[in-house]
Amino acid sequence: MPLPAYIKKDYKRTRTLHGNWYLMNYKYKFNLSRTKVFLKGLKEGHILGLKCRSCNTVSFPPRLICGRCLVMPDQWVRLPETGTIATGSASYDTNDKNRERPLPVIAVRQDGADTVWLHNMPKDIDFHSIYIGMPVKAVWAKERTGSWFDIDHYDAIEDPAIELNKKEQEK
Amino acid sequence: MEKVGIVGYYQLKPELDIMMSPYEAIFTAVRGALDSAGLKRKDITTVVTCTNDYYDGKTISNCFKVEAGGAYMKDETKVELDGAHAAAYGLYRILSGNHKLAMIYGFSTPSCYFYEPVRILELDPTFDRTMSVINPYTTGGMQMRAYMKAFGVNEEDIAKVAVQNYKNCSKNSLALPEAKKPDISVQDVLDSEILSSPLRRLMYPIPCDGATAMILAPERQSLKITDNPVWITGMGQCQETYYLGDRDLSISVSMEKAAEKAYKRAGINDPKSEIDVAEIFGHTSCEELILAEAAHLSEKGKGAILLDSGPALNPSGGAMSAFTPCASGLTRLVEAAKQLRGEADGYQISGAKKAIASGQVGFCAQNNIVFVLEGGG
Ligand SMILES: [Zn+2]
Repeated sequence: MPLPAYIKKDYKRTRTLHGNWYLMNYKYKFNLSRTKVFLKGLKEGHILGLKCRSCNTVSFPPRLICGRCLVMPDQWVRLPETGTIATGSASYDTNDKNRERPLPVIAVRQDGADTVWLHNMPKDIDFHSIYIGMPVKAVWAKERTGSWFDIDHYDAIEDPAIELNKKEQEK
Repeated sequence: MEKVGIVGYYQLKPELDIMMSPYEAIFTAVRGALDSAGLKRKDITTVVTCTNDYYDGKTISNCFKVEAGGAYMKDETKVELDGAHAAAYGLYRILSGNHKLAMIYGFSTPSCYFYEPVRILELDPTFDRTMSVINPYTTGGMQMRAYMKAFGVNEEDIAKVAVQNYKNCSKNSLALPEAKKPDISVQDVLDSEILSSPLRRLMYPIPCDGATAMILAPERQSLKITDNPVWITGMGQCQETYYLGDRDLSISVSMEKAAEKAYKRAGINDPKSEIDVAEIFGHTSCEELILAEAAHLSEKGKGAILLDSGPALNPSGGAMSAFTPCASGLTRLVEAAKQLRGEADGYQISGAKKAIASGQVGFCAQNNIVFVLEGGG
């Protein structure tokens, strides 16, 4: 089939021009005064959730606005250090080219909270030993500074449900 | 066109550097608009957001603002133009018959970025951006010179527009505090720093942080919500060519076309006598005149007479009062609605029955949108 007249035969490729796709400097605004209570709690070793007075949803980490009710929750509630794994996945170390050692990344639902957040577990834990519903406990950083990193990781704790299930099966 | 009612609105008081996170600013505006209409979040059926990825420093900028904008588990979309375009989207959605209440908001915080340099990213990357001579200042200067030459207007006339805007700002409690200049003179404007000859610093509004929210509802629904709705009776939009060289900068054909469409839909034959208030979003004082003339509020080149007679031009102070990218056009709509509702405390135009409000986006007002509003009473 002959080419349309407007297509030149010697036209090999589209010309390109190099350019940067950048955004100068940006200052991301964040109102620290709203999370002050939460960060102070962490420094003192308390885990605080934020409760919406309208729908009783407890968010941890605290959400500034309850999307369901369109209100700003303002009731801080103390939460225990324990939680359960809501879901999880694996990540790999950059040196681990063959992907031999999966490292767990977990979504933890703090007991008493309705939301989950992503965290990690100790590096020596076997990824395959992790399951949904597994109880975990927050491990504090060596030195608490009143920041998000005060909770260093989550560690596995004994699951009484396993023993119960075993007994159930024996019956 | 079927009537659509503006039933609620809220303007966050603009500031140069607002002490609020984006989340809180939007929440305050959206919650304020709902409260002004006595509505609940569950009444909203659709949300139209106006934010800009570059202005927010993240892509898909609306996804982060869902909860604050009242859009959780609702039909939501984003417009990356001006707040007035978001209002147009809301209008279409209401007119489609699928929605009973549309929440519209525009938001930006120029304290987080440099507004003028970021505007450069709007340019054609192959020619205009590499030449690095086109920016909001130079285009404003070129437009002003073209206008002055075409119609024999002098700098004083344009400075007078700025002076009136600053004086109007001082009466408007929701104007940017830095723009409230009740004692400013024409000479002060002419003596201010030159941005791009002949454009002076005081002819150019200060980008400021802010958020504006507005609620639209169909006619029947509006009357259930309020006894005093403001009706959108006409709307027109027009997009001009991007290339400045292909346009006559002394006039605005796109504004003319947009206004004519809006007037036709609203059944307005003589805008000069029928319109009481015009809230025009001009990027510079000169552009304000060009757009007002293109909207047939005065003869071409004679826009300055609007300062003394004819429709009241920007009684709120116009873009000078609150130049928030993504929200300016929406704020103009809200200001026009306030005039028709008799809520413009301190700068009320008595007996205002019909108003127009405009929004725009692009260099030298490439894309214009005009709304015709009527008081419900
Ligand atoms: Zn709630």
